[in-house]
Amino acid sequence: MKKHSIASALVATVALCGAGAAQAQVAGQVMVKIGWNKIMPKVKSDDLTAPSLPGSKIDIKSASALFFTATYMITDDISVEALGGLPYKHDVVGAGAVAGVGKISEVHVISPTILLQYRFMNADSPFRPYIGAGPSFAKFYGTKGSAALTAVTNPGGPPTTVGGDTEWGSTIEAGANYKIDKNWFLDAAILKTFIKTRAPLSTGQVAKATLNPVSINASIGYTF
Amino acid sequence: MKKFHVLTTALAAAAFLAGCGGNEAGDQSPRVAFTQMVNFGDSLSDVGSYNVGAVALQGGGHYSINGQGATGLLYINWTEFLAATLKLSQPCAAETGLNTIQAVVGVPPVPATFHDASTGGTCLSYAQGGSRVTADVGPGNALLFNAADSTTYSNAIGQLTIPVQKQITNYLTNNGGTFSDKQLVTVFAGGNDIFIQVATFNAKVAAGETPTQAATEVVTAMGQAGGELAAYVNQMILAKGATHVVVVNLPDVSLTPYAIGAGAAAQGLVKQMTTTFNAQLQAGLTAGNNLLVVDAFTASEDQATNMAQYGLTNVTTAACTSSSSLVCTKATLISAVAPAASSAPATLANGYEYADSVHPTPYGYRLLAELVGEKLAIKGWL
Repeated sequence: MKKHSIASALVATVALCGAGAAQAQVAGQVMVKIGWNKIMPKVKSDDLTAPSLPGSKIDIKSASALFFTATYMITDDISVEALGGLPYKHDVVGAGAVAGVGKISEVHVISPTILLQYRFMNADSPFRPYIGAGPSFAKFYGTKGSAALTAVTNPGGPPTTVGGDTEWGSTIEAGANYKIDKNWFLDAAILKTFIKTRAPLSTGQVAKATLNPVSINASIGYTF
Repeated sequence: MKKFHVLTTALAAAAFLAGCGGNEAGDQSPRVAFTQMVNFGDSLSDVGSYNVGAVALQGGGHYSINGQGATGLLYINWTEFLAATLKLSQPCAAETGLNTIQAVVGVPPVPATFHDASTGGTCLSYAQGGSRVTADVGPGNALLFNAADSTTYSNAIGQLTIPVQKQITNYLTNNGGTFSDKQLVTVFAGGNDIFIQVATFNAKVAAGETPTQAATEVVTAMGQAGGELAAYVNQMILAKGATHVVVVNLPDVSLTPYAIGAGAAAQGLVKQMTTTFNAQLQAGLTAGNNLLVVDAFTASEDQATNMAQYGLTNVTTAACTSSSSLVCTKATLISAVAPAASSAPATLANGYEYADSVHPTPYGYRLLAELVGEKLAIKGWL
């Protein structure tokens, strides 16, 4: 109960600050946002398939990029949001038996997502937390190999390349926005995406991993 | 309509961005810009010390399946795979020659000749088949030939067997007495000490010594050889300016077709000799940033137990019909791996770990090159 009252107080304070300037988020409105998103994969890698050193795994480092959304208010509380953005460039490093070899590849990822959202509090409240869920599509492309990757898969041979991949996953999110004037608002959200990838190497092995990244973002939005 | 246009524009932009970029090779240069590779050791690093005279006539020279591309792989010896990985020119034998006994082999000997800086050459692979750590006479040396004993006839080929200690001395004498920080120096030896010590063990037992006593003596001798090799690396390589030294320990020789064929007791002795050599080698080496020890022993055992993971189908049978792989080509392979047509590569041989009773196939060497490459990457040199 105590925690709840603190949260309520915070919300009330924020609501007070924004009072007077807010335009309601009501059915039929469109909002756009642009901001910065950091995606942090929580990788569980399978072993690289044979032939390879037993227990060869991969890990994928965090990446950040500009993102943008467009949101349509279906009702005063329910909205649909399309999320896109610039590609994320992740470093892929060795793990498991090949931990320590450093960067073995890099990959670009673009992951447009459609979210069905529910917004709490009144339509005219300047502060509205929301939750959402929906499908994510991920395209892994623009990979780059490395001297280390070639050395452990085809020493002295042509450079080993990493194939791209396209996958479907699902995303859940929780966020909140705060209106700063009639049209402009600030927004922050945390997202969890459930997705796997399967990257074939030009030498025949396949690297499979569950990525399940957590993303955090902050953005500025405009209501039309 | 205008509002929906914003939505569709966002989605279209995402789809457009997703279409960019292909899959590229990336930066393939090693982190250390090596300019040379220097190799010391035995047959496992020999790239053609004996590719002259009688051996050259048979298309040999490597202790594996000879002929570049014979099994479809680009290279044969692990040092050749490694040189290509490090963007270096291919290694070549720093000293060639054969003390062939013409009366037995039918081909004249070829005088020992250097191809390193001492003769205006650029070859820096001093590793020779048959070489021991310290002792001058190793397997295949003509001094082991005895006309009265047909089991010694294989020595009539007359390998030079310059021991590792002398190989390093020759390098220093012929190359200004130092190593440079742009050289990768590899040291991989000890196997021939095992083969000679096994013969010593048999001779001791035949002369009446108890097997236990004889085993203790030869295992002790192997430990001494390991310690000596470590001392040479410390004093003659690391102390002479080398900053990138790779020492490969002995693979588990007890898992070779040679040891398997000798029976369980011999296998046990060979394993003890191998582990004792490796332990003394490891103990004697001065650890530091300039030294990388690659554990080929553990890798060889893992390859034998997890064959499929390494792409191997056979780790106990020799792929060559010739008793020494020094003269093995794809024309002298066992029927199970022989190519269907003489023009085709013997790709099935890439499932075999061993070319002869102790030496790897090109694929077996490639696995070693991959292991070394992984450790080089971890060390920050690749």
